[in-house]
Amino acid sequence: MKIVIAGAGEVGTHLAKLLSKEDQDIIVIDSDEGKLIKLEMYNLLTSAGSPTSFKSLKNAGVDKADLFIAVTPYETDNVIACEIAKSLGAKKTVARIDNYDFMRMENRGFFINHGVDDLIYPEFLAAEEMVIALNRTWVRNWFELCNGELNIIGVKVRDNAKIVGMPLKDVYMSNYAHISAIKRNHETIIPRGSDIIRTNDIIYVAVANSDTHTILKMCGKEEISIKKILVMGGSRIAVQLAKMVGSKYKITIIESNLEKCHKLSDRLPECNIIHGDGRNPEILEEEGIGDYDAFIALTDSSETNILGCLSAKEYGVKKTIAEVENIQFISEAEGLNIGTIINKKLLASSKIFQIMLDSDATNAKCLALADAEVAELVAREGSKITRVKVKDLGLSSEATIAGLLRDGKGFLVQGDTQIQVGDHVVMFCLNGSIHKIERLFN
Amino acid sequence: MFERRHNINTVMVLKVLGWLLILEAVMMLVPVAVSAGYQEYTTAKEILYAVLITGAVGALMTTLLRPRSTEMNRKEGFLLTALVWVLFSLFGMLPFLFTGALKTVADAYFETMSGFTTTGATMCSAVESLPHGVLLWRALIQWIGGMGIILFTLAVLPMLNHQGGIQLFNAEVSGITHDKLRPRISETAKSLWMVYIVLSVIMIILLWIGPMNLFDAVCQTFAALSTGGFSTRNASVGGWHSNYVNVVIIVFMFIGGMNFSLLYTVSHGKLKALLKNDIFRWYLGIVVVATLLCFMDMWLSNPKTNIEDGLIACGFEVVSGLSSTGFVVADLDKWNPFSVMIISLLMVSCACAGSTTGGAKIDRMVVLLKNVKNELSHAIRPNLVTTVKLNDRVITYETVQKILAFLCIYALILLVSTTIITAYKIPILDSMFMSLSALGNVGYGYGVTTGGLYSNLPDLVKWLLSLDMLMGRLELFTVLILFTKGFWTK
Repeated sequence: MKIVIAGAGEVGTHLAKLLSKEDQDIIVIDSDEGKLIKLEMYNLLTSAGSPTSFKSLKNAGVDKADLFIAVTPYETDNVIACEIAKSLGAKKTVARIDNYDFMRMENRGFFINHGVDDLIYPEFLAAEEMVIALNRTWVRNWFELCNGELNIIGVKVRDNAKIVGMPLKDVYMSNYAHISAIKRNHETIIPRGSDIIRTNDIIYVAVANSDTHTILKMCGKEEISIKKILVMGGSRIAVQLAKMVGSKYKITIIESNLEKCHKLSDRLPECNIIHGDGRNPEILEEEGIGDYDAFIALTDSSETNILGCLSAKEYGVKKTIAEVENIQFISEAEGLNIGTIINKKLLASSKIFQIMLDSDATNAKCLALADAEVAELVAREGSKITRVKVKDLGLSSEATIAGLLRDGKGFLVQGDTQIQVGDHVVMFCLNGSIHKIERLFN
Repeated sequence: MFERRHNINTVMVLKVLGWLLILEAVMMLVPVAVSAGYQEYTTAKEILYAVLITGAVGALMTTLLRPRSTEMNRKEGFLLTALVWVLFSLFGMLPFLFTGALKTVADAYFETMSGFTTTGATMCSAVESLPHGVLLWRALIQWIGGMGIILFTLAVLPMLNHQGGIQLFNAEVSGITHDKLRPRISETAKSLWMVYIVLSVIMIILLWIGPMNLFDAVCQTFAALSTGGFSTRNASVGGWHSNYVNVVIIVFMFIGGMNFSLLYTVSHGKLKALLKNDIFRWYLGIVVVATLLCFMDMWLSNPKTNIEDGLIACGFEVVSGLSSTGFVVADLDKWNPFSVMIISLLMVSCACAGSTTGGAKIDRMVVLLKNVKNELSHAIRPNLVTTVKLNDRVITYETVQKILAFLCIYALILLVSTTIITAYKIPILDSMFMSLSALGNVGYGYGVTTGGLYSNLPDLVKWLLSLDMLMGRLELFTVLILFTKGFWTK
């Protein structure tokens, strides 16, 4: 697949590196040559030039591109770049935006008419992710597949869990649950039956919706209901979150910039806006942090967010969520006692993987974790996966079939399972192996 | 991610080297087949021994070594690239030794390194008496080395198509910046090789139509396009006494000195790109001016010279020197000092970056000259802001500095090498000329090495020149950093 990425910012760079490992033909365009030099060391091509110029887009070979991704800092540039790319012959275009108005269903037709096939709004995705985390306080990750019939749940296993010390083959959670991956000490592994679950592992379980409560019990977790939320940092994600769930929860936002505070109180009348530094314990105590059910740290600095969440835990807040934009920190942060971690880059790449896996983007779903991806795909007629039994597919140690949904029912996949046309298959694969999976389905 | 990092993943480097040695063994099968075809069965058998040894060592290295991780970064890239050239020469000399074409290890190693680095300085005085298999091996190593051993393996081995492959590509391909043609490195390598192969086929056909037989045509093509310079005649290309052969070879030596990325663009119908390219215009200009100067020099000392023959002879020597081929049609010793000096100057710069040529490259010389011009303007108008531009693109200050550093080190190595050689009581001019010739991968000789024959030098000088050739081919840094402490310490 030939993919052109316009904009070598954080998201663009992350996507370029990730996709070049997936054996795709990647071309990155940016007007700043200094940003491109850092990418020279990767297996991809760079091309200096403005993403909104016909000439530089032609130079980069947009006319033959299967996918054009515009992720410059400006949404208007992104939309125009997609428009030009489409007119030059790019098959599919995606623009990053930061405006909810553009996302509305009734406005989508406008963008499709203008050559923008898909939109990515990372702040919106982040807010959605947080809403899920607030509903399911006991999980790290909650990924709904197959219209909510099957879920992939990431849970941190603590001392009190019954399954600690048990080999995987003896863990019986339910007929439809399957532990597809374990994250241990900064490394994600696809486990075998003999592997033993240890304290502080994060296990990723595929489970049918009706059986999720058994996982809750097995892991010794309890559900907390959230009423009051304290948000540190009045960023765009915070605004998005407040707009989505402001009526359901009591939200307080602490922001250090006074001007921003005024704007926030103007835009979000139902929220309390506090002016002050969220790192300052006096402010937190004054606000009665111990009474809050959830603490969400959304400042620009990953370090502040991580530390903020840790001190909130000390004050007795049950659920904390931190935005961590440095991918290198995610692994460390997961090892600490922070509940859920939000990363805009990973959310954006989830969306791109989804588009890559299925050009119609109707059947595929994808979730990017720090070093792995979860994807839901539909087995098509004639694809390799429907021809042989699971054990003969030659799945490497990098990928596993987490679960299967047939006629609306979840199935546990075994070696002898034969996948049929129309089955929804959930794959769990480590970084750099999605293209191998893709081959099985096409 | 957090496991203990080893400084250099030597085991993985050695394992990949094993793969590459197997590849070299496969290459050696070509002269075996040719020898058998010419009914030189003893030669075929002797080269087959070399194939078996090389293949066996390669197979052992790949099967026995189990690296802890397959990760290859910048350091591994440099190490692998430098080592592959050393090892390829080490095993590539076996056919010369086993067939008795060359007697000592120093001679055989020099000859092989001279072939792979496309220098073309030789140890064989009586080339015509060598069996066909040996001659073809001599030609083939130039052809492979011309484009680059690493570039060849990137095109054929998919296992190097990842980030480590880029490091290798950068460590081997010559020039200031490295143009990638296609998003994936293996695709870039394949495209470049395609251009190379098509040009080779055209040249073989052109020479075959002329007075050469197919075998000679193939060998001269491999030597000319790769800008190597090993011939199959004792008197080099001069042995054919044919202006047709000379002109064909001039044209293809010239093409061999052009940037192959540019050739790729031109082959896709963008002829304008050729004329717009600054470096190409300089290259063409230098050839024309140097040819006319040499011809003037020749004509002034002997007004009866035939104009056509004279121009072709001068053009041949100029292009041969500038493109770093080192083919000869006339003995340099009989030329006037002025012409010899012109050729020597050409040998310093050689042709364009990204080609099969050696030397410091015209690109760097042009940047140097433009920078000097800017510095002169600064002397009068200190506040003037100037930039060095090449093909309408600004060369950053850091790059200019890198180029200046390169040229200084180049000159330094030249001086050190010359000094060591003079210790063997070899005349200063001859020592200087052979160092320049080896470092620039040209292969011309003057004085004691007349006609490019380097056999009557002391062994130590041969080893020194082999090292010069390697450093010149890999553009200094790839080899030099291996001798720095920082490379090996954590």
